[in-house]
Amino acid sequence: MELMRLSELREGEKGIVVEVKGDLKTKLLTMGIVKGTEVKVVRNAPLKDPLEIEVRGYLLSLRRDEAEHVFVERR
Amino acid sequence: MDFATELANARYELIGKIISSSVKKVSKPKSFSDLVDTVVLDKYLGIPIFLTLMWAAFQFSFSVSAPFSDAIDIFFGAAAEWAKASISNEILASLVGDGIFGGLGFVLVFLPPIAFVFVSLAILEDSGYLPRAAFIMDRVMSKVGLHGKSFIPMLLGFGCNVPAIMACRTIENDVDRKITIMVNPLMSCSARLPVYILFAGVFFSGYEGAAIVSMYLLGIVLAAIMATVIRRILFGGRISPFLMEMPDYTMPSLKLVLNSAWIRTQIFLKKAATILFVGALFMWFLTVFPWDATGGGEILDNSYASLVGHIMEPLIKPLGLNWKAGVALLSGFMAKEIVVGTLGILYGVESEEAIQSALSQDFNPITALVMMAITLIYLPCLATIGVLKRELGEWKLVSLVILYELVLAYAVAALIVVSGKVLGVV
Amino acid sequence: MKKAVVALAGNPNVGKSAIFNALTGAKQKLGNWPGVTVEKKEGICKYKDIEMHIVDLPGIYGLTASSIDEKIARDFILHNKPDLVVDIVDASNIERNLYLTLQLIEMDANIVIALNKVDLAESKGYKIDAKKLSEKLGLPVVPTVAIRNKGIEELKRAMYNAIKTKIKSSLRYNDKLESVISLIEQKVVEKRVLPEYPSRFVAIRLLEGDEEILRSANLQEEVIKQWILQRS
Repeated sequence: MELMRLSELREGEKGIVVEVKGDLKTKLLTMGIVKGTEVKVVRNAPLKDPLEIEVRGYLLSLRRDEAEHVFVERR
Repeated sequence: MDFATELANARYELIGKIISSSVKKVSKPKSFSDLVDTVVLDKYLGIPIFLTLMWAAFQFSFSVSAPFSDAIDIFFGAAAEWAKASISNEILASLVGDGIFGGLGFVLVFLPPIAFVFVSLAILEDSGYLPRAAFIMDRVMSKVGLHGKSFIPMLLGFGCNVPAIMACRTIENDVDRKITIMVNPLMSCSARLPVYILFAGVFFSGYEGAAIVSMYLLGIVLAAIMATVIRRILFGGRISPFLMEMPDYTMPSLKLVLNSAWIRTQIFLKKAATILFVGALFMWFLTVFPWDATGGGEILDNSYASLVGHIMEPLIKPLGLNWKAGVALLSGFMAKEIVVGTLGILYGVESEEAIQSALSQDFNPITALVMMAITLIYLPCLATIGVLKRELGEWKLVSLVILYELVLAYAVAALIVVSGKVLGVV
Repeated sequence: MKKAVVALAGNPNVGKSAIFNALTGAKQKLGNWPGVTVEKKEGICKYKDIEMHIVDLPGIYGLTASSIDEKIARDFILHNKPDLVVDIVDASNIERNLYLTLQLIEMDANIVIALNKVDLAESKGYKIDAKKLSEKLGLPVVPTVAIRNKGIEELKRAMYNAIKTKIKSSLRYNDKLESVISLIEQKVVEKRVLPEYPSRFVAIRLLEGDEEILRSANLQEEVIKQWILQRS
């Protein structure tokens, strides 16, 4: 159970959201990335950035530097 | 005491309760969308598939629409001739023929590519592919201060900036959209190609391809630079978030696609077309009056347009250009294709070969490059200005685009001239 | 004929255009939202003795007014006070879509839910009990597949009924949070803060630190914090 940033998860890895920080906080929360939510990194873009995650049954893509502000516990 | 987070948590907590009693998840086989994405967003296949689709969209938008544009061109050309032949009063004949029919034809010739671009876009949007395209290209786009969704409008700019700028409607974020719109004119549209071909053919014989491609590359580089500059100066360097949902793929509904394309085409007709038409009439006036001196537009040398060219000359002389180039560039304000034709009229020649020999007397390789670079950069054409106003909303921003392009054109031209002198070419 | 203003709200990609087209048919008008370059679509839908003036709001994920689209939608609901808001929820994506629904409920809007893309939801393995959902939300829920014109008549009927008899959902969050919200709401009513807006909405927004509401109310975040500390 390690605390890490969403941007550090690798393809296929899952995590439980612990905290959301940063300027994008409101948007991230609105999109369903709140404490206790399970997120899964589905893939990275062919050019490595952005990354695509699965959350609450849908797919969301965000840049690596945006994912840095989401702290998760790796499953 | 972060209540914003508390509230968001509480809302989703409540949603969880509501869902648990009313929604059952039966199974999760790989959905159709997931399967498609496995291929479309694959590390290795993703980019080739993307490029193929872009090429297809581009071809559809511009090549397939071309016959329709040609038909409209021919129709209004014939209408203009008929008007001139049927109306006895010469000035009225010219007004109705070249001015009104010419102007209308000029505007409506844009309709097919615009409509086809909107159809392509609607298909890309409705099918769900557009966010995937943005996802693939974002890394490259964000390095130059743009958004992944900017890629397609910028690509379309190589065909024509008018539908390209209207395509920026797919960019949700306001700042990203405005910036993409404001640098789009730097993407070298197909109307500029005849100018490149003419000058490259005369002065870079054997290396025409390289000379022409260098103009496209120059446009791309300048667009990247200006995007960063505009973002910093006008929008405080704010980086807009990417955060984008990837919806399920759906079969685009023909009805919705056509409806959406029609609605957007109507917008072009209503607003941009009016500006275009008025501008066309204005250019007609400049090239045809004073009536007696120009013999009804036959002798361009004596028109108000050439007067403007002469007034401009001191400005462009340092760049190695004369008043004829000035008038040609002025006519390019109307539509960049016209530059070549105007040069022909000014040098009093009809054929390609004749223009070529005429040009080699007034220009040299350096000033040819200057001419090409200026054509690339100096001004959005009238049609583009029309849509810039429509899509940006304020004349302030449109003026800014015109201003920065004029300054940039002059600066780049000066740089070319100076480099030429330094390298001892001239 | 009685006239009613109906706003169409929902996340992007939920099929709002399809529903708009199904409701208004050929009678559509295109324009701009005042002062911005965002498209505004309006149309008419006649049902029995009501002429519904349908306004398509921009697709939004929330109502925090952090983007132009959200601001347009929120302002329209607050200032124009439409007779009804049809919240189009993508059944295949229901959790995130309900976030907007909850915010609409906070705004005290008269709401009918169009549960769209139920066919897609089914193919993805979701079984949704619309009746149960309606019960839990306290709002009418009409399943639709807009691109196939399914459920549109039922939707029109539900819209008609909702315009005639306004329904207000009384959903509440957890007790701890609700006590803070009530506290702020009391102050809002006492001090007559933005009385033209629903008090619960103002209270929740002040609590969230919504910049626009704070500015309109001429309050600072610290003041709100004080209110909370004073009472606890």
